[in-house]
Amino acid sequence: MSRDDKQRFASVVLPHLADAYALAKWITGDRADAEDVVQDACLRAFRAIGGYAGGNARAWVLTIVRNTAYTWLGKNRTATLVPVEDLEAVERATARAGTDLGAASTPSPEAELIARADAAQLEAAIAALPPQFRETLVLRDVQGLDYREIALVTDVPVGTVMSRLARARRRLIKTIGSETP
Amino acid sequence: MTNSATDREEAVLLLHAYHDGELDPANALALERRLAADPALAAESRRIGSLRRALREKIPREAAPAALRMRIERTLGLGRAQSRPSLRALAASVVLAAALSSSATWLALQPTPGDAAAEAVVAGHLRALAAPQPIDVSSSDRHTVKPWFNGRVPQAPRVVDLTYEGFPLVGGRIDVIGRAPVPTLVYRHRQHLISLTAVPAAGAAAAPEQRTVQGYNLLGWTADGVTYWAISDLGAGDLHKFADLFRAAPPDG
Repeated sequence: MSRDDKQRFASVVLPHLADAYALAKWITGDRADAEDVVQDACLRAFRAIGGYAGGNARAWVLTIVRNTAYTWLGKNRTATLVPVEDLEAVERATARAGTDLGAASTPSPEAELIARADAAQLEAAIAALPPQFRETLVLRDVQGLDYREIALVTDVPVGTVMSRLARARRRLIKTIGSETP
Repeated sequence: MTNSATDREEAVLLLHAYHDGELDPANALALERRLAADPALAAESRRIGSLRRALREKIPREAAPAALRMRIERTLGLGRAQSRPSLRALAASVVLAAALSSSATWLALQPTPGDAAAEAVVAGHLRALAAPQPIDVSSSDRHTVKPWFNGRVPQAPRVVDLTYEGFPLVGGRIDVIGRAPVPTLVYRHRQHLISLTAVPAAGAAAAPEQRTVQGYNLLGWTADGVTYWAISDLGAGDLHKFADLFRAAPPDG
């Protein structure tokens, strides 16, 4: 470990530790697991720091965290992963069937219900999302990345980011908007 | 509703992009018109807005657990000072480096005003590396970079083109030393950035003098009433080469 690498790690990775931890927590759904993932990711980032060519440090760090988290999940909880292709085919079919917007023109109380939802409700609804929808929603609505950054981190085209985000939000709206407060 | 399912799907995607500020003005305008004419879409827009607001306001943003940060720093052998570069930590490390390194005893014996400048230069470089963009003006053209400094600092720096020597110009930024804004040029060599800060100096010309701060090589020299500080994670040899090339380059126009 050279001092240069340590210095670069300290200035490139450590400023984004909170974001790294938050993303790992949302992906794994568990604080202790998230800590393990972040520590693992930091080791990977440290080994790769020599190849970091500048640019968006946060996206670079979050990409490593995300990949580490999925590797970790694959090793520790094989059963929970759903192949994303199947998932998106189902979503698309549902959307085409015209049920996508829910009760259309009626001025629904959903918006109000959503506004009144508390943190626990929101967190439970996010946790219940399929992984690929959840990470996209979290990166955008919790961590504030833009579409391009999310595409970079999740390694999919911007169009896929858009459709995942739309579907994730639609599910949340459906879940929270139908709950009795 | 006469729109096809695909058309509707696309409108919904655009609606989300609209809420996320990802639409260009033309598309945003088109969507606003459509919202005014489509109550179902407008209702969905309200729900999306409501959801985004709820998520923003109610999902707590927490810091990484302190224990985790410490574990990582311990595992990688990072000190506290390195993890949070602050002026005080940098100053302390300069003093410590001076006290420990026999080759730098001159620094411990003879603190000069240049030391404060050196610390500020290091801090500026670290801050720039941590920022999304290490530069305020991004250009490889010195005729773009030099004028950018006019009006921002008392004196625009000397900018030389070292592209063919393997040190292309990346851009420039303003750093602050003491309370004065000073120009910093950013060059690149392979994947390493070099910050070159130019500080007006009263002293006589001086040849490059090297020191190491926080693992960075720092090279300071004075010429034509300007003290130059070059800092990089480059090796000392490459940094000296850069300084020699910069000093040897003909004056710019």
